[in-house]
Amino acid sequence: MTEILIKNGFVVDPLNKINCEKMDIAIKNGKVVAKVNEKNAQVIDAAGLTVMAGGVDIHSHVAGAEVNMGRMIRPEDHYKDPVRKTALTRCGTGYSIPSTFVTGYRYSEMGYTSVFNGSVAALKAKHAHEELNDIPLMDKATYILTGDWWFVLENLAKGDVDECARLVAWLMRATKGYAIKIVNPGGLESWGFGRNVHSIDDPVPNFGITPREIMRGLIKVNKKLNMPHTIHLHTNNLGVPGNYQTTLDTMKAFEDLSTDGKPVAHITHIQFASFKGENWGKFKSGAEEIAKYMNAHNHMTLDMGQVTFSDTTTMTADGPFEFSLYELGGHNKWVNSDVETESSGGIIPFHYKKNSPVNALQWSIGLEIALLIKDPWKIFMTTDHPNGGPFYDYPKVLAWLYSKKAREATLKKCHKSAKKKSLLPSIDRELSLYEIAIMTRAGTAKALGLPDKGHLGVGADADVAIFNINPETLDISQKFRTARKAFANAAYTIKDGTIVVKDGQVVNSQIPGRTFWVDAETKDPCKIDDEMKRKFRDYWTIEFENYPVTDHYVKVSDRLERKASV
Amino acid sequence: MSKIINNVVCPICGCLCDDLEVTVKNNEIVKMKNGCAVCEAKMVHGYKSEERILKPMIRKNGKLEPVSMDEAVKKAAQILTDAKYPLLFGWSSTVNEAQRIGVELAEELGSALDNCCSVCHGPSVMATQEVGIPAATLGQIRHRADLIVYWACNPWTSHPRHVERYTAFTDGRFEGSEWKSYMNKMKASASRKKMDIASKRIEREEAQINPQVEVNGPPPQTLQKPGRKMIVVDVRKTMSAEAADYFMQIEPNRDYDVIEALRCIVQDQELDVEKVGGVPVEYLREVADAMMKCEFGVIYFGLGMTQSLGRFRNIEVAIALARDLNRKTKFIISPMRGHFNVTGANQVFAWQTGYPYAIDFSQGYPQFNPGENTAVDLLKREDNDATLVISADPGAHFPSVVMKNMMKHPLITINPDMNAISRLGDVVFPTQWCGIEYVGTAYRMDSVPITLKKVVEAPPGVLTDEELLSKILAEVREIKKKRGLPVGLTEQKIVHTEPIEPPRVCPAPVTKPKPKKVVKKKKEAA
Amino acid sequence: MITLTALRAFDVPIQTPCITPENFTGKSLAEIKVLPVTEGVRNLTLGDLFKIEETNDGTSNITINGDCAKVKRVGQGMKTGEITVNGNIGMHTGEKMAGGKIIVNGNAGGWTGSEMKKGTIEIHGDAGDYTASPYRGNDLGMKGGLITVDGNVGTDVGCYNQGGVIKIKGNAGRFLGFHMSDGAIYVEKDVDVRAGALMTGGKIVVGGKMEILPSFTIDNVKPKVKVDSETNVAGPFYVFLGDLSEKGTGKIFANKAANPAFKFYEKYL
Ligand code: SF4
Ligand SMILES: [Zn+2]
Repeated sequence: MTEILIKNGFVVDPLNKINCEKMDIAIKNGKVVAKVNEKNAQVIDAAGLTVMAGGVDIHSHVAGAEVNMGRMIRPEDHYKDPVRKTALTRCGTGYSIPSTFVTGYRYSEMGYTSVFNGSVAALKAKHAHEELNDIPLMDKATYILTGDWWFVLENLAKGDVDECARLVAWLMRATKGYAIKIVNPGGLESWGFGRNVHSIDDPVPNFGITPREIMRGLIKVNKKLNMPHTIHLHTNNLGVPGNYQTTLDTMKAFEDLSTDGKPVAHITHIQFASFKGENWGKFKSGAEEIAKYMNAHNHMTLDMGQVTFSDTTTMTADGPFEFSLYELGGHNKWVNSDVETESSGGIIPFHYKKNSPVNALQWSIGLEIALLIKDPWKIFMTTDHPNGGPFYDYPKVLAWLYSKKAREATLKKCHKSAKKKSLLPSIDRELSLYEIAIMTRAGTAKALGLPDKGHLGVGADADVAIFNINPETLDISQKFRTARKAFANAAYTIKDGTIVVKDGQVVNSQIPGRTFWVDAETKDPCKIDDEMKRKFRDYWTIEFENYPVTDHYVKVSDRLERKASV
Repeated sequence: MSKIINNVVCPICGCLCDDLEVTVKNNEIVKMKNGCAVCEAKMVHGYKSEERILKPMIRKNGKLEPVSMDEAVKKAAQILTDAKYPLLFGWSSTVNEAQRIGVELAEELGSALDNCCSVCHGPSVMATQEVGIPAATLGQIRHRADLIVYWACNPWTSHPRHVERYTAFTDGRFEGSEWKSYMNKMKASASRKKMDIASKRIEREEAQINPQVEVNGPPPQTLQKPGRKMIVVDVRKTMSAEAADYFMQIEPNRDYDVIEALRCIVQDQELDVEKVGGVPVEYLREVADAMMKCEFGVIYFGLGMTQSLGRFRNIEVAIALARDLNRKTKFIISPMRGHFNVTGANQVFAWQTGYPYAIDFSQGYPQFNPGENTAVDLLKREDNDATLVISADPGAHFPSVVMKNMMKHPLITINPDMNAISRLGDVVFPTQWCGIEYVGTAYRMDSVPITLKKVVEAPPGVLTDEELLSKILAEVREIKKKRGLPVGLTEQKIVHTEPIEPPRVCPAPVTKPKPKKVVKKKKEAA
Repeated sequence: MITLTALRAFDVPIQTPCITPENFTGKSLAEIKVLPVTEGVRNLTLGDLFKIEETNDGTSNITINGDCAKVKRVGQGMKTGEITVNGNIGMHTGEKMAGGKIIVNGNAGGWTGSEMKKGTIEIHGDAGDYTASPYRGNDLGMKGGLITVDGNVGTDVGCYNQGGVIKIKGNAGRFLGFHMSDGAIYVEKDVDVRAGALMTGGKIVVGGKMEILPSFTIDNVKPKVKVDSETNVAGPFYVFLGDLSEKGTGKIFANKAANPAFKFYEKYL
């Protein structure tokens, strides 16, 4: 195996408390090692460059039924962004929902090496894995929609957290899933009959349970199973004006569940959950309230779900949300995709415009929250790809975070009502490279419970990103465009100890990347008897034996074994 | 010595029933339980037909002659690379794993790539691209639907178990079957023989008039009552129509007009006309009422809608109708996809290229346009000078001018048995029956992925679609290299294993966080 | 002026988005000859397929001679100048055109003038399906400009029209002006079924026989109608409003004399 020595780069490695120090990183057998023999090693002269661990994206919709439906219904989106085949890479199409190969290449070109797939219904998990296999150059994993799975609803309604935990352990194993995903808890089941829940204490029809009970129950389950990540939550009332109150209620409902000061839940795309004002006309930012709460509490982590002003495609398991978005008008297509016994879903193409008062303020809200929360270990950078914008807009988002000048340049072009309501002019904070490294790799790796990711200490996976940024000579906040370009085109990306990108171009596409999944071993396995199988046959339209994702579907499998306490 | 294999998946229609119980004796299926008559015909008899191709063949002096696999692969690759613009068509009756290689092959050749959906439900995909679609998996219908509309389709013959497994005749959590008694009656009387006769009758498309249901009479009162109801809309009375609570017969090619009239009624608009598509507007009003009043409605539509006048526009307004109804209640609409994995072909093509079918790679990147890159249109204009047909028998669906144009140029076929298209081939490959002889993935009509099983061994020497395509692809790359053309890299292949219970064989990764050691720093000399 | 003459009969599709006046401007003949094109899967140059000659008249106008029914994407995105085709031309001619003029002395393929913004396309033969209609999945139809066709047109012509004017001397296929929101379409002869389906605005004027969808309602009878500043058509015309299923206010002008079957609508007036 090749050895690599990255010499003299400015290393930014927050997990090891290294901030722009000039040092060497040695790589051997796909891992970071203490040293290598310089004579045998491929030497990268990183003098004047910034060296970070490979990026870890905590929430991005890159694979699965929903994503692919989005691809299928948007030929006009791909038409404007064709990607040529080369001797090294497959062809495809891009724009808001790139084809799988292009997804891998484009992530890699930005120095990202891991991506966690936002949500997948268990019944269609095989599909997600088939697509993940076709995303090269990336480690990946997928979250499994668990919050409205009938077995969860029934067991939690009964108060049987232990049995629920055993079933969820089975579910994770059966779907090769990584974390418990909850989307609009109770709302998806209600959407089965075209209804929704509107607060965390609204009863879920036919099941005698409330969203609060579902979420709290699954946090307990998550703990009992000793999962690497917390529950991954898309809150109730997402995208509804005034929903910041629901979000605060949700966070408050978990306060007592964190006993060791560690986070117990991750709320994803917080921007869409921080709206103030009773209706769209009185639409305001709830960022201050959310940030204030987050600054005073430690039991949550968040990601941004930043809006980037592009012609994109929204997609979520939150069926009722997508329908209400459709009803706002101005859209030519609406997809709904209910999944029996588990979930719903929806897709709407959406063009975020600077001259729309609501869209512009949404843009502001995402940034406000990220900047007002003091601790970067609590909030991570995402666009909820492709919901707020495609992932390859990340460099733009970073620029807004590290440069007030960049924010001002964009705010200038925004609708005047958004300009008036935006809190951004009052925020002077500009993130450092250190903080950016936390929000894009160190923090996400930590939140996901990945000890070998997000840092460059000895033993870490040799996933490295090198950017053409010299912290000694380049003032990123002033020259934000130069830095933005550097983040868009990594000088080098190293995946599993192999150089895969050079000067923003893929030079090796043959690293498939691993798929992580969690195997939580419970003391007693969940009871799978004839009764269970009969129930299964009643609940789903496929047989119990045909439900699990077999080995066949994971190209390079990486099983994370956990000892559960039930 | 016979063994029974459970939960086998039926590789025939879009229902992908996965509850078959198959008895295998001496590497032969001898018995099959739970499947429908169509399934039994193929699983127990059809797959071992005498028409099975066992060796590759090449046409020499007008006659097909058996040759070695290597020779056939070389010949096929030669044809494909010599052609100015080849077309790869079919894909609906093979598994995802093979379709993946197919896309790579098309990409390497720069050819056109199209799947059978362009002659069945391609219009449904196009309509979705215009307006989206409110869809749901079949179980959602089983649990909740109290109004089921079959429009321009006859599940009774095309998807025999659709009604009993997923819709009107099933018991769901919230909606029970109103048809228990009816079912029992049917089951008691309809012996297999009778079913056979019935299906044959339908094949000849003879309308059967049941005196109980008056054609185009007013809708019965029961349509407005709670409980599960089934409506069939079609241009002729089918078996499915007979089982329905109400059969609405419409004039041929008037689906669009009838749906638009319904849409107007749902939106409280007055109509100037008295009859639409032969149906009095009052009747339509009652049907619309039933649609608005139900708790959960669904429209399933078939080829009668996608392939009749108006094609994808018909679907477009049907989807718009379902969408409008969501403002009043819950409403879903879904195509009755035919071949067992035509949905999978759309999925695979879409995730690898962004487009579900009708793809052209000649520019080095995918371009999509039904009407331009669809097989029928390409061949009609005689744009292609070589064709590869895999797992399909397009002869039946292609107009004769299209077939004639196809025959003017070399034709490569990949099919398990000597079907009509294979008889016409210049290079004819045998292949295994997927879902009987080898494992792979297929997508049900509602895009639920299901793993097909292997129940018997394939005849010796016969490869899977996937293996065969990989060989052709490798040979194409060889030829291109010899010609000094740039070629793509062969991707690492997934090693396949039999599907089993979730295994625990992967190497255990580190789970405990290791104490982090700070990388040794080489401090700059101050 | 550059003249391109097909060197041979073409048997597989040829894509030549490079043929636009602005792309030829400032290029020598030698440079034009090596512009990339494809013939089927082969990458070739323009000079491989066409004899290329230059006449010095100070313009970059282009003349194409020969049967080019398989040649696609000529004049794609062109902004100025003129292209004259003496013969048939293939699909996507003048797609996304933003100015200038294309004259086709023959038939044009499908998607001619697709997503056109400005300029003129004159077709002195027939035009294919989806003339002046947007690409799949898009609702951005013709924004402006003028397309005239001397012969017949295929199906789905002028879909999602947002302001363009289309004048057809012959017959038109079904779904004429599908989902149009503005602009005008004038067909002198007959129109197949479902004209104006899902239209929300704009007007369709039909001189010959046609059918009206049930989702349209009669509005009045008008003696004549104005298509654009240049064309006034004498009637009388039945005026229908629709498409009601889209709460549309589009207008269809159906010639009274050619459509006696519409008489029963008069009872609502
Ligand atoms: S309904 Fe279709 S899938 Fe089911 S058994 Fe019959 S042919 Fe097979
Ligand atoms: Zn998301």
